Amino acid sequence: MTPLDWIVMVLTIIAIPSFGLWKGRGSKTVNQYLLAGKTMPWYAMGLSIMATQASAVTFIATTGQAYVDGMRFVQFYFGLPVAMVILSATAVPIFHKSGVYTAYEYLEKRFDAKTRALAAIVFLVQRGMAVGVSIYAPAIVMSVIFGWPDRVTTLIIGIFCVFYTTKGGIPAVTWTDVLQMTIIFSGLILGLFTVVSLMPHGVSFADAVYLAGAVGKLNAVDLKFDPNNRYNLWSGLIGGAFLALGYFGCDQSQVQRYLTGKSVAQSRLSLLFNAMAKVPMQFFILFVGAMVFVFYLFIQPPMLFEKNAMKVLSTQPGYSQVQGRFDAAWQRRQKAAESLNSARKRESPAALTAATAEYRAAQHELDDSRKAGIALYEKSQTRGVLKPAAFNDTNYIFLSFVTRFFPVGIVGLVIAVIFTAAMSSSSGELNSLAAVSVMDIYRRHIKKDATDRQYLIASRLFTAMWGAWAVVFAQYAKYLGSLVEAVNQVGSFFYPVLLGVFVLAFFFRRVRGSAAFWAMLLGEAAIIALAVFTKVAFLWYNVIGTVIVVICGLLLSLVQKQTPASD
Amino acid sequence: MKLSNQINHDIHDSEPPPILGRWRNINILVLCWLAFLILLFYGFTRYFS
Repeated sequence: MTPLDWIVMVLTIIAIPSFGLWKGRGSKTVNQYLLAGKTMPWYAMGLSIMATQASAVTFIATTGQAYVDGMRFVQFYFGLPVAMVILSATAVPIFHKSGVYTAYEYLEKRFDAKTRALAAIVFLVQRGMAVGVSIYAPAIVMSVIFGWPDRVTTLIIGIFCVFYTTKGGIPAVTWTDVLQMTIIFSGLILGLFTVVSLMPHGVSFADAVYLAGAVGKLNAVDLKFDPNNRYNLWSGLIGGAFLALGYFGCDQSQVQRYLTGKSVAQSRLSLLFNAMAKVPMQFFILFVGAMVFVFYLFIQPPMLFEKNAMKVLSTQPGYSQVQGRFDAAWQRRQKAAESLNSARKRESPAALTAATAEYRAAQHELDDSRKAGIALYEKSQTRGVLKPAAFNDTNYIFLSFVTRFFPVGIVGLVIAVIFTAAMSSSSGELNSLAAVSVMDIYRRHIKKDATDRQYLIASRLFTAMWGAWAVVFAQYAKYLGSLVEAVNQVGSFFYPVLLGVFVLAFFFRRVRGSAAFWAMLLGEAAIIALAVFTKVAFLWYNVIGTVIVVICGLLLSLVQKQTPASD
Repeated sequence: MKLSNQINHDIHDSEPPPILGRWRNINILVLCWLAFLILLFYGFTRYFS
């Protein structure tokens, strides 16, 4: 990084929390600290919801995913608008009018204290693990790319984040998110323009799109139904809708955003804004990744994008053969891409068909040669019978490209975007963890009659405590290996249970507390069994788990002795 | 099982949306937007592959 990049990065990272603290100054009550005094406009909530969901890894991994696997990941988000419409018509008015601080508080009004406590604990466990990974994941990527110590990076992100979240509460978090999303959008647009401008002479934007599409990198929609295929239209629409219902309707880190709204209408608008903006945004991010792929048709990429892995690989016996094969395959693909581009311009169908076939064969050969390199690296990491987790350098592709080819100044901005994305998702998580700890555990079970000021102090202390936990977790996350990967998918293990119990609460009047409580436990057991004994793609856990909780709740309520509703 | 009274009671929100008059129209707009995007991306996939 050049001095200018450092200046841009440091100024951006300092300016954003300062802006949030300035906008969020004066939180004197718990209501102001946790719900912003219910004064937020829809656009601030909408951008904050988006920022909380989009972690740093979203930006660096999604672009890399398009490079490797094409754009089919966009289908993951197709269910989100459907979920937003449902939630804006159901959860938003119900939560608003019941006057709760947390989603789980509503469960006690509707069911009983134990169901509320179970839901709160499920949230604290799941989100408590995720908040550490939100800080750790980008730190480890930057440590490999720049050689910065990952402990220093996690500390910088953690300290900034904990400081402004603890001091300013949700107003600071929300306004910081607004500025962060503005910078993230600007960074992405600038990124696309830069990638396209770096294409070699004679390759226009239309040529680049054509070359990406010819090898399936623009495969945005797959209509074929396959329950074992992670991303297709149906898993995205149905599984994705259930996942989004669980995340935006039952996860306090999101519910708290729209509880800060001036009115039900403002909160509804914030969700519907997300419904309209999220899919195009993800498409755009993936498209940037596809353009990076095209760029590397003409400039040779490294065989492995993770520098340390490449260093290890280069010392292995058999490396020179694997690298030689990769070099030859890349040269073949480069020539094939140039031939295809010129055949397209000549508008000769026969030449175009032949050039396309050769281009696809060359891409296939390049993929195979890279796989051979990965296999050799994985073999080097095997210790006796212990095999390492499958190697994946997707997270390194975009940052590696940025640092090598982006102009001075923009590199600093992109790195700042990664930092701010990490801070925005973590700060939202910390604030919601504090809200649940104070309202659902401390105030409900430990100190019921404290003053507002005491709860405000408790909220700040819990925010700091969860922040310290997140930083400590991030410091040791690298020793947890596959656990970190599991945490990334952990939402699909817990959201169905939470969603199921809220469906019972909202729609089935006769279901009582005990039935809901046991249905949650049975549902969780069923999801674990599904993960252990079947190969069903994880998005479907959300559908199956929710249905199981609802059915169990209904059956248990039939067999249980009926008592008057608590509501 | 009957639907909860809670939902019938709570979803009545008197404040209209800033455009299109009714929330139902906004919801339809969002779903039409999604359908449009899926069709657009499908056409995009087919055209460029």
